[in-house]
Amino acid sequence: MNLTFSGVDGIIILAFYAVVMLAIGYFSGKGEKNIHDSLSGYYLAGKNLGFIALFFTLYATQYSGNTIVGYAPAAYRSGFLWLQSISFMTIIIGVYLLIAPRLYVVSKRLNFITPTDWLRHRFKSKAVTLLGVFLMLWGLGNYLLEQLVAIGQAVAGMTGGTIPYQFAVIAFVLVMLVYEWMGGMRAVAFTDVMQGIVLMVGIVFFLIGALYLVGGNLSDVTASIAEREPAKVGVPPIEGTINWFSILLLVGCGAAIYPHAIQRIYSSQSERILKKSLARMAWMPPVTTGFVFVIGIIGISMFPGLDDANSEQLVGMMANEIASINTIYYWVMVLFFGAIVAAIISTADSVLLSFSSMLSNDIYGNFINPKASEKKKVLVGKVGGIIAVIILLWIAWNPPGTLYEIFVLKFELLVQVFPAFILGLYWKRLSAKPVFWGMLIGAVIAGLLTLTGYGTIYGIHGGIIGLAVNFGIAVIGSIAVPVSSKHEVYAEDISSLKIDA
Amino acid sequence: MEKRTIKEPIRKKWIWIVLVLIMLAIVPWYLPVGSAEPIIFGFPYWAWISTFFSLVLCGYLSWLTIHEWNIVEDIEEAEREKVVKK
Repeated sequence: MNLTFSGVDGIIILAFYAVVMLAIGYFSGKGEKNIHDSLSGYYLAGKNLGFIALFFTLYATQYSGNTIVGYAPAAYRSGFLWLQSISFMTIIIGVYLLIAPRLYVVSKRLNFITPTDWLRHRFKSKAVTLLGVFLMLWGLGNYLLEQLVAIGQAVAGMTGGTIPYQFAVIAFVLVMLVYEWMGGMRAVAFTDVMQGIVLMVGIVFFLIGALYLVGGNLSDVTASIAEREPAKVGVPPIEGTINWFSILLLVGCGAAIYPHAIQRIYSSQSERILKKSLARMAWMPPVTTGFVFVIGIIGISMFPGLDDANSEQLVGMMANEIASINTIYYWVMVLFFGAIVAAIISTADSVLLSFSSMLSNDIYGNFINPKASEKKKVLVGKVGGIIAVIILLWIAWNPPGTLYEIFVLKFELLVQVFPAFILGLYWKRLSAKPVFWGMLIGAVIAGLLTLTGYGTIYGIHGGIIGLAVNFGIAVIGSIAVPVSSKHEVYAEDISSLKIDA
Repeated sequence: MEKRTIKEPIRKKWIWIVLVLIMLAIVPWYLPVGSAEPIIFGFPYWAWISTFFSLVLCGYLSWLTIHEWNIVEDIEEAEREKVVKK
């Protein structure tokens, strides 16, 4: 995405964003003395996030820079079929409704820090805990890697190459690490308020600019697409609709089970605030992915006939056109690219924080040194997070040949943890061994299918096929080898809705 | 255990049946493949149907979240009020 319209102006705006983020990070950590001495204080903002912070941190984390830079080209390539991006982002709230109400109560009662805490308490099995940690860290690591690559591309694109790609990544990663170090979840959530607002406003202005360029007339746009590429306008074929159902399941279950998503349930000040935030989140897909979808459709008529690789540059190309309308649009576009960078950072910081918390609490605090003070655990997580970022940056710049494909796996593996949550919460007979084997075999199936080029079979994602097998093993195994009644009583107690431990 | 009214979405079947029905309405599997006409305000007819039900989904989930989920809210809010009064 090489923009010619920016340069020094872009650098000024980016520097401005960086300073604001650092200031927010500094003030969110200031005056909070215990923030670095307590796992819950650092990773979950003391479980005391209010409505504004919780809503925006849910929003800015769920919608990344990729929502614009990646989804507009997706709409460009698949046409009106990409309407699916509204429903698959909305269904996440439906899956939250399945797990969040109970998990919120249990997490407050037992003072959970990470999603793994649930697995550990519920199954009391090292194998389940370790496999869960591995799958979740894998998902988070890949997600973070994706964001790190995206930061560099967006910044280098926005400044017309004035800031080289690698320098851009390091500068912004440093900003992120510094504010996260200073304020933990509070810093992440409060910077998300700024980053979320910038993202919302940026998308709206981009849409207005794009509509202006086509004379405000979407009918002509669609008419020209219908003439040239009728498949992009017509009702999708059967494989497309099956794929749509499959993606509803994959994204719905996968995105709701992301460790940082679950930790936002834990972080809420109260049930009322969690409810209010999720109720608003349910309305965000139409005005976020929905608007980006329209932008992509307009792109088809503005730049017809791009191949797959070139279509990835769509947002940059459109931004160039919009910026040349007049000075106001020029500055709006400079701000918009800042918004993309902000959106990527706001997702990356949450993912990194979650990654660190699992190192702190699940690996170090559970397996290596359970007796360590919380202060030490927090410190280990912080330093471990930084090391992880350095390793991921190294991978991003030196893709290890064919191995690189392994890093594509994200949702497919992560989603395999889902049965342990949903069945574990509501079915007392579910036992550890079938959960472990289900997770493992599901992950292997999903991984192999994706790596051997069968990402989808008849439109159904490999991750969903693995998940179905996973559910099957967990359920049949638990029925075939019943747990003792003592176990059942324990499972019922741990997942109950009582408030006091 | 203390007396409280608990509303938990997973316990009500109708919630999930309606959710599946809305999903079935969003995905245009029931319309003739390839058809697009009439195109109204730039959206083919099926895209209007799908978008309409996508918005229904947003509204439905938003409504459920507020009205069909109430587990510890009353207790938490009562406690908060106590703290404020003190």
